[in-house]
Amino acid sequence: MNQLQCPFCGPRELQEFEFRKTRANVTTSEFSKVYLRVDSVDVSVEHWQHVQGCRAWLLVERNPSTGAVLGIEALPAVMR
Amino acid sequence: MQSRYSAWALLRARLSSKRFWVPLWGGQRLQPAYDVVVVGAGGHGLATAYHLARDHGVKRIAVLEKRLVGYGNVGRNTTVVRSNYLLPENHYFYEDSLRRWETLSRDLNYNVMYSPRGVVDLALSDDDMGRLARRGNAMRLAGIDAELMDTAGLKRFCPELGLHTPRRFPIVGALVQRRGGTARHDAVAWGYARAATAHGVHIIENCEVTGVRAAAGRAVGVETTAGYVRADRIVFATAGHTGMIGTMLETPLPIETHLLQAMVSEPIKPLLNTVIVFIFPGHGETYIAQSDRGGLVMGGHLDGFPSYTREGRWDRLEDVVAGAVELLPQIGAVKILRQWAGTNDMTMDGSPIMDRVRYDNVFVNAGWCYGGFKAIPASGAAFASFVASGTPPDLIKAYSLSRFDTGHMLDESGGGPFPVRL
Repeated sequence: MNQLQCPFCGPRELQEFEFRKTRANVTTSEFSKVYLRVDSVDVSVEHWQHVQGCRAWLLVERNPSTGAVLGIEALPAVMR
Repeated sequence: MQSRYSAWALLRARLSSKRFWVPLWGGQRLQPAYDVVVVGAGGHGLATAYHLARDHGVKRIAVLEKRLVGYGNVGRNTTVVRSNYLLPENHYFYEDSLRRWETLSRDLNYNVMYSPRGVVDLALSDDDMGRLARRGNAMRLAGIDAELMDTAGLKRFCPELGLHTPRRFPIVGALVQRRGGTARHDAVAWGYARAATAHGVHIIENCEVTGVRAAAGRAVGVETTAGYVRADRIVFATAGHTGMIGTMLETPLPIETHLLQAMVSEPIKPLLNTVIVFIFPGHGETYIAQSDRGGLVMGGHLDGFPSYTREGRWDRLEDVVAGAVELLPQIGAVKILRQWAGTNDMTMDGSPIMDRVRYDNVFVNAGWCYGGFKAIPASGAAFASFVASGTPPDLIKAYSLSRFDTGHMLDESGGGPFPVRL
């Protein structure tokens, strides 16, 4: 994985992006919302930011075992 | 039957016609039931099994390993051992570990090549000096050796650094822990595997655990690729794949799996007699030591995003090497021989988790981030005591999973709930 396809800027080098966090889908308590993660070998849903480009927040779906990007789109404002 | 290693035994073996070099582990058949099943034959799993057998008299122990002994992080790390932590819970634990490192070769009757050559944390600014002084003072209050050095002291301790070399950020001092250093990583796995085998532990390779079977609120055994195995207690020590264990136990854990790279140069004549940690503003980090074979072993920051690929990103390799050349310009023409990566379970506060998960008889030893190697001896002893008695010893009480519910984090860097700190 050397590049990401920014939905606004097109394909850009990985260095331009910063990974922020994996999505937590467990909301049993405030603490678990902050600390628990979904750490799957098949699909990882992540928040990234194109810090050295358009600075948009992105929702990236990847396969962490192969590095393949399954989907990338702008992060909806409600999920930030 | 294993022979005890000594200079005398070696001489005798040379003179006798009997076969001396027997396999150190393996050869046992997987049994249908065990008192304790340890999942993962890495450093922590083997050490736990060894201490369970030696210190707690547990008779039937199996260590199940998906691939081979020492295939994971115990064979991939950069071999540094140290106890220069800031928080009390961490420095007491790692100091216990460092004391065990000092006698480990004798305890295991296997040379793990522990070399107390010192660990040097370089300061590039007054701020760095203040930060390192604080850490050094915390260590000294706990009775751990730490020495804050100015450039004159550093010049004596590590002359190869060439403090007069013009640098973008001149070195102004360092925090040195002299008892820190390196050990031979593979030998640690081999030594523990051999010692555990001598105490009757079964080490089963190429046997992947695929699930946990439970009945009446208790785990009763594990499903494996070699069939079902009944177990009274189950221990998971699967660094780098603990996320999968969380999935298996249907319990989300505060862990993300990230890659950390390491690389080694071609062998050169002795150049560096210590371990240097160099945090370079704007670029990241390089730590570097010279192995006994002569290669310069280097590492740096995490790759920065969750991954199980064990590949490593190229720009990180470049960062680490740039830092190494900035630090030691004389190695500029040396070639990198190999580069590799390991999967690290990164917890949300940077400290490990040693606790029960989901069932009363399922114990998880995880979340060592990038510091698991140095912790092996203490972790094995303390975790074995936990598994045997059911109560965690004081040394590891702080590493409970419940700290993420109660807010009692052990956040060394003060970075908040993210494994990647930039």
